[in-house]
Amino acid sequence: MEAASQILRRLSISRSGLMGLVIVSIFFLMALGVWVGLLGQNWSAANGERWAVPNATWWFGTNQLGQDIFERAVFSVQTAFEIGIVVSVLSTALGATLGAVAGWRSNTWIDGTVVWLAGVLDSIPFYLFVAAVAYALQGVPWAMHVAMIATFWTATGRLVRAEVMKIKTREFVLSARAIGLPGFRILLRHVLPNTMHILLIQTSITFVAAIKTEVILSFLGLGVQDGVSWGLMLAESTQEVLAGHFNNFLAASVMLFMLLMGFNLLSDALQDTFDPKQAAL
Amino acid sequence: MNPLALKVRNLTIINTGNAGSKAIVNRLDFNLEKGEVLALVGESGCGKTKTAEAIMGLLPTSHWKVTADKIELNGTVCSASPPAVTRKYRGSEVSMIFQEPLTALDPVFSCGYQISSVYRRHLGSNRRQAHRLAITMLEQVGFADPERIFRSYPHQLSGGMRQRVMIAMAMSCRPAVLIADEPTTALDVTTQAQVLEQMIQLGREYNTAILLITHDLGVVAQYADRVMVMLNGEIVESADVADLFERPQHACTHELLSFAARMGD
Repeated sequence: MEAASQILRRLSISRSGLMGLVIVSIFFLMALGVWVGLLGQNWSAANGERWAVPNATWWFGTNQLGQDIFERAVFSVQTAFEIGIVVSVLSTALGATLGAVAGWRSNTWIDGTVVWLAGVLDSIPFYLFVAAVAYALQGVPWAMHVAMIATFWTATGRLVRAEVMKIKTREFVLSARAIGLPGFRILLRHVLPNTMHILLIQTSITFVAAIKTEVILSFLGLGVQDGVSWGLMLAESTQEVLAGHFNNFLAASVMLFMLLMGFNLLSDALQDTFDPKQAAL
Repeated sequence: MNPLALKVRNLTIINTGNAGSKAIVNRLDFNLEKGEVLALVGESGCGKTKTAEAIMGLLPTSHWKVTADKIELNGTVCSASPPAVTRKYRGSEVSMIFQEPLTALDPVFSCGYQISSVYRRHLGSNRRQAHRLAITMLEQVGFADPERIFRSYPHQLSGGMRQRVMIAMAMSCRPAVLIADEPTTALDVTTQAQVLEQMIQLGREYNTAILLITHDLGVVAQYADRVMVMLNGEIVESADVADLFERPQHACTHELLSFAARMGD
């Protein structure tokens, strides 16, 4: 906990990092509000007039069906966070596990298999792959998640593999063996914790990538099936913009932009905070 | 004669790297009596460190082939393939101190955590007991404020302090044998003396035999009971420390001594 407060203090020194933290926190509270049922519950109710301009009742106006765009935009925060958290945590965990095992057993068939698998997955065009997975898992709401996790782990895996190969030649690994720790435990207790900076940064990067990808996939009709997301709102707006109604388009893109910017500021600052060259004391 | 702490017979280490097989250490025999300080000296690359690592079982089998007729610890045969001290005894009966104390400690854990992990592993202590034992151990190696050291991370300590933490960790289970691989090479001269003093004293207290690997003959003269001189993977001379300095037998010993003498001028 001491370390956590130290990180917060270092983070608060950077103004942009602090701003990122504030933006992300606000969005997170919104997502939390949707989860517990306080916000965005009426996203599907079509009880307004069609294409209302923003006013006191309809803060962001309404869409073609008379649905409240504010409610839909807020509900989409939850959609974004859900996919961001699920994909970033699982893909980083998968990448860390496979990368660590490959690095620990480098130059064996295990390592070869993992690197080959990562190479194969990276060589398939991403949206083609997702479309294939979504098609194969038709009707399964997790198709998009599965596709993203299956492709996003490779970057983490490569980084962790390289780091583990570097760390395992360090003397403290030798001395851990000299005090009688078994190999697997050394990997778990001494090598993996030393890759924590990579894991944290990769989690924040994949979080942003997952949200962006979700919007693109939903826009293309491959993403969210039940629910609403900024991608679906943008897809709706393709017809509205030509008719001169920008509310859907603006709400979705501004919210998306704010969240992604907040996260980028935050992960930039985190990267600086965890940089061992700056964290000497 | 004291009972033996470590008995090594016919130890051969072969490097099976890309350039073909090459024997690094050839048919090494030696005894280590309980409580004695045995110095292993020799020029760099003669196989001192590899001997230590082979005994500890730290050489990866992918690149090294280790054979031995016998490695006995406290009279018990340590059977393992490759022959080495088995994992159960590492850290409890035999432990090792490395040359560079910064890289030998894990940077992401506090020193105290790392010392107590030895107790938790080998003695099955719980967190509280391990904490208490670690604090006692830190006091033993001469820290005036063990609680602070316990909480410190390796990068917050000086080289000498880190090496004392290493000694605390290595001696925590009162091992029969301590292998110290050039423990003070990375330290400055004044710290060197303190750290060595601490280590030797603790060794006496716990009746731990110390295999001191070094190329510093000053250190040997001051602290060792016996000396083995190693050349190209073989022991060319083995004698009590006084005899060695007065009547060196082998040409290599002469050379080492004359270098030391010249450096001392």
